[in-house]
Amino acid sequence: MTGRIIEQRIRWSGSLIVAGLVVQLLTSLWTHPLAFVCFLLVGCPLVAAGILFFLYSLVSHEAH
Amino acid sequence: MSNETLIPVLFTAFVALLGLLAALRPEFTAARGGKIFAFVALCILPVLSVWAGFNAQIERSTSTQFCLSCHVMADFGKSLHVDDKSYLPAAHFQNNFVPREHACFTCHTDYTMFGDYKAKWRGVHHVLVQYFGTIPKPADIKLYIPYNNRECLHCHEGARSYEEASPHHKNPDMLAQAAANKLSCMSSGCHDIVHDVADLGDAPVWKPEAGKQ
Repeated sequence: MTGRIIEQRIRWSGSLIVAGLVVQLLTSLWTHPLAFVCFLLVGCPLVAAGILFFLYSLVSHEAH
Repeated sequence: MSNETLIPVLFTAFVALLGLLAALRPEFTAARGGKIFAFVALCILPVLSVWAGFNAQIERSTSTQFCLSCHVMADFGKSLHVDDKSYLPAAHFQNNFVPREHACFTCHTDYTMFGDYKAKWRGVHHVLVQYFGTIPKPADIKLYIPYNNRECLHCHEGARSYEEASPHHKNPDMLAQAAANKLSCMSSGCHDIVHDVADLGDAPVWKPEAGKQ
């Protein structure tokens, strides 16, 4: 059961990270201040959320 | 696309593929090797990728193309190409006294991300005004603080052409005052024609040879 929970959490964290990296990729192809703001306000938080969720899933898995 | 851009883009794409693999096949993480893979793909590499992307974005934001990408800056861009050497930015830009790809940032080093926290806030504010506010006329755009001679002197100080120029000795302490930022290089009667976008009108424009910007 815990195995399935951690797999689900890894799936979520991977999805968040991929979404953030896709935003980063798109903004890196556009030379404009808005691209910079999108990278900072959308891409970075998505990746950070994915990493933190992944770390949380590891810690919570250990606790079980 | 330059190498400075291409390498972070390829790296980010690679990390995204690994992240996708981890998201699609999380059952890999049951094995020891899978755990290590997940930690690298979902923690270490994304951090490195974002750091590389941030550096690439910062580097790009120093480019002339970046500064002129907002419509309101178009006239300031035109002032770099005006065919009149009395325009200070034009003389610097057209004679390669500043690198053309980074012309704005060379003379305005205290802007946005590169200045203090107030300057960073102003940069964000400019983006908000661009999309949600009332965009000022180019002629109404002024510097927040008086131009610092430091930006001129980091190239000109010590240069013979600067130190021996007769106009720079109209007063015996002129150079000392300029060095102390007490006398602006752009004072009236000195180098006082800068961007002057309000007077640009139909001024003739210098066109560089094709492929040279």
